[in-house]
Amino acid sequence: MIKITGLEKIYRTEEVETVALNKLSFEVKEGEFVAVMGPSGCGKSTLLNILGLLDDPDAGSFLFNGIEVAKFNERKRADLRKHNIGFVFQSFNLIDELTVFENVELPLIYTGVKTSERKKIVENVLDKMQIMHRRNHYPQQLSGGQQQRVAVARAVVNNPKLILADEPTGNLDSSNGNEVMQLLTDLNEQGTTIIMVTHSEHDARYSHRVIRMLDGQTVMENIMA
Amino acid sequence: MLRNYLLTALRNIRRNASFSAINIAGLALGMTCSILILLWVQHEKSIDGFHENSDRLFQVYERQYHDGQIDAGYFTPGQLGEEMRKVLPAVEYGTNLAWEDKLTFQAGDKIIKQSGNHAGEDFFKMFSYPLIAGTPATALNSPVSIAISRKMANDFFGSPAKAMGQTLRFENRKDLKVTAVFENITDLSSIKFDYLINWQTFLENNQWAKDWGNNGPRTVIMLRKGTNPRTFEASIKKFLDGYNKEQSKKFYIEMGMQPYSETYLNSRFENGKMSGGRIEYARLFSLVAVFILVIACINFMNLTTARSVKRSREIGIRKVIGARRISLVGQFIGEAMVIATFAFILGFILVFLLLPAFNSITGKEIHIPVTDSAFWLCIVLLVVFTGFFSGSYPAFVLSAFQPVKVLKGTMKFSNKSILFRKGLVIFQFMLSVILIIGTIVVSKQVGYLQHRNLGYDRENVIYIPLEGVLPEKFPLFKEEILKQPGIAGVTRISGTITDISNGTGGVEWEGKDPNSMPMFTQAGVGYEFVKTMNLQLKAGRDFNKDFATDSSAYIINEAALKIMKLKNPVGSPITFWQNKGTIIGVLKDFHFQSLHEPIRPIIIRLMEKNGWGTALVRTKPGQTKQALAGIGEVCRTINPQFPFSYQFSDEEYQKLYKSEQVVDKLANCFAMLAIFISCLGLLGLAIFATLQRTKEIGIRKVLGASITSLFTMISKEFMLLVLIAFFVAAPLAWFALDNWLQQFAYRTEISAWIFLLAGFAAMFIALATVSYQAIKAALTNPVKSLKTE
Repeated sequence: MIKITGLEKIYRTEEVETVALNKLSFEVKEGEFVAVMGPSGCGKSTLLNILGLLDDPDAGSFLFNGIEVAKFNERKRADLRKHNIGFVFQSFNLIDELTVFENVELPLIYTGVKTSERKKIVENVLDKMQIMHRRNHYPQQLSGGQQQRVAVARAVVNNPKLILADEPTGNLDSSNGNEVMQLLTDLNEQGTTIIMVTHSEHDARYSHRVIRMLDGQTVMENIMA
Repeated sequence: MLRNYLLTALRNIRRNASFSAINIAGLALGMTCSILILLWVQHEKSIDGFHENSDRLFQVYERQYHDGQIDAGYFTPGQLGEEMRKVLPAVEYGTNLAWEDKLTFQAGDKIIKQSGNHAGEDFFKMFSYPLIAGTPATALNSPVSIAISRKMANDFFGSPAKAMGQTLRFENRKDLKVTAVFENITDLSSIKFDYLINWQTFLENNQWAKDWGNNGPRTVIMLRKGTNPRTFEASIKKFLDGYNKEQSKKFYIEMGMQPYSETYLNSRFENGKMSGGRIEYARLFSLVAVFILVIACINFMNLTTARSVKRSREIGIRKVIGARRISLVGQFIGEAMVIATFAFILGFILVFLLLPAFNSITGKEIHIPVTDSAFWLCIVLLVVFTGFFSGSYPAFVLSAFQPVKVLKGTMKFSNKSILFRKGLVIFQFMLSVILIIGTIVVSKQVGYLQHRNLGYDRENVIYIPLEGVLPEKFPLFKEEILKQPGIAGVTRISGTITDISNGTGGVEWEGKDPNSMPMFTQAGVGYEFVKTMNLQLKAGRDFNKDFATDSSAYIINEAALKIMKLKNPVGSPITFWQNKGTIIGVLKDFHFQSLHEPIRPIIIRLMEKNGWGTALVRTKPGQTKQALAGIGEVCRTINPQFPFSYQFSDEEYQKLYKSEQVVDKLANCFAMLAIFISCLGLLGLAIFATLQRTKEIGIRKVLGASITSLFTMISKEFMLLVLIAFFVAAPLAWFALDNWLQQFAYRTEISAWIFLLAGFAAMFIALATVSYQAIKAALTNPVKSLKTE
């Protein structure tokens, strides 16, 4: 599903040049659950941004479902993104001005789903995530675990083929964290490919495979039992 | 999608109440100004537009060529209107019009003064003044006809129906018959009248007007359908050649015409060509309206972009989820539209509340034209423009945020966008400073007009119209008045001394160039005119009844002397309108017209026994009340058929500058609003800037920064912007105002202190606005501000 070859990303300021990704190559197959680990500043987040089509690489190839997307323009990236990729962030990133329902509904609006249909889909997802009773609440009225469940709901509402999770349990206590990991595992079992950046060995154990990064390169790959 | 945008917009407004309030209040005030000015300009433009035949009504004007100069104006011979209708087939109707006059009428024992005019029999066929009784054809067609307003009919006879056919005694001289009653004149008409008397009566009382060489009344004609006004105008250029025997190389009159509906706004001539008039004020205030609206929109742009850091996360998320840039642009412009709509609702309520006050300043009766679709279209355009204009910049800036950066919190505004925002503040304050300087200069000029030494003492002078038997019994009248307490002197003049404008070329003197025909202003006065008015004599003496020869004596001013180039003017022979006489005095120049006009040469003759005119009574300072009681008593005794009426010279003088006074008041209001709206914006930016720098301020405090140094640090930046704005504004303001002042022959100076005052005022107001926030931030406990991270 994803194949990157010789990917490079360099951040330049006037005086300093930071190599975030250094000729990185790997492949993720459809239906896989991959965890990316490594110390702070090793390039995990940059990788995730490029995989999520939020950022473009300076060099290298990025095949998404066999299509070269490394040189896509903003509009094409946005189109590809909204139909294929869901995001889960450490800090949830819900829109404060919108209710739970409206937050989850948002991706459907941007993909042009009709109102009546949207309602059905959103309610279905909220039900699955067990936050239906909170549908009219605003994010700040929810606990961290609940907020992350809303974020996951929003990530999956479009039925994306790929979910990118950036330390999804980083702001949660362990029981809430486990719940979220269970949600991701369930999604993966239903066929969604998941790439997750994490610091937590515990969370990594939910994945099939761990890619370990250092200084913008993969240093090791472990296949989880 | 729309619902989603609307929801976000509404919730954003609610959540950020103070910012939203500043935004909405600023825009609302801006819109209030714009709508008021729009209504005013619209009203000005619609004056005289209600006549159904508007496209065929034309006002005739004259261009007088003499001594290498061209004087143009609406003054025409007294029988021109009727004559044009008779001899020119293209003219369907034509009428002359005199001037608004307050005259005395009597019916039974009711004696009332009314304001009105004289007009020809075609008047009501040409103009659309609705008749309640009578027909346009018969309203003014006999030498005894008078048409009166509903109000005048009610005053005299109780109702319009009862008024028809009744007799009104006019100036205790002639009986007129009411032949029509018209609806009261609205403020959409440039001419105001409660009565119209037939033109024959005017000519009977003003024999001079029958002479084709004399000019004064206005002439309006109505062309037949299908007549091309341009070719027609070209054909009447030399029309007067066949009538005016005085047409010659040295003094030649050409005729021209102007659409009647345009005369209200465009009535000034310069070198024989139209050169604006009231239209300039309409344009000026339209510009001010745009200024103020732009200032308000800039507030919105600035506050929205400055605050956008707070919303950057939302933008990032929307982008990650799949929003395209264009849909975000749509969202932000949509939000601006929502705010603009709120602002409009508030602004409209304000317009509604302020309209009475606005009307009293402008002297108009403006209503909100709720049934006029064009008005609502303008309003919709105003809201859409405001929303779009103010929303566009934030929309493009915000929608360009990169999601990776905003979600990571590493987003910073580029230097370019910060610079642009500062540029907006500078622009805003530049407009405000221009308006402040403008206000000061306009006020200064109005003050100058009001207090300029006119060359005579206009205080404590009362005008009493000489009517009824007063002209013939003037010597007795004068004698009686001088016996009353508080009277310092009495004389008379043919018109009023505040506005003498009768011109003539009929002056001859020894050594006059036979090829030139300079124009003189002329006036007839009574004995002791110079003494009573406190005029200054340069040489010679005043008119005096001890000199029997004074009936052929003349007094001139310095300007006239300059033209006549006489070495020993006093005693020099002079011929005025074929009457030989002598110059007995030369006056120092004094103002006998509005200060828009230069002092022209004037020739003053003795007309102690004239059949009309105004008595000029000088009272002793502080004794006006007793004097008036005495004068009233004398008038009622000598002239019982006429109600006693009078005017104060000072008030008459002020009337010359009515439009300047309105402009002065309006400019004051709008400049204050502009600076207020700018300050709202500055306040918002200050709140934001201190919020942004909370942490920095905290750290500085921990490291030992004093409150003063923090205060300076925060306010310095804003002061710099205002200072730059001032330096940009000053030359622009100077240029614009110098231009405005050119229309006055006598004008105030644009002195340096005006600029300094405006600059300091802007700085002070800005500092006051910012300082509360700056002090608050500087006083905050650093422990608190550092914890916010």
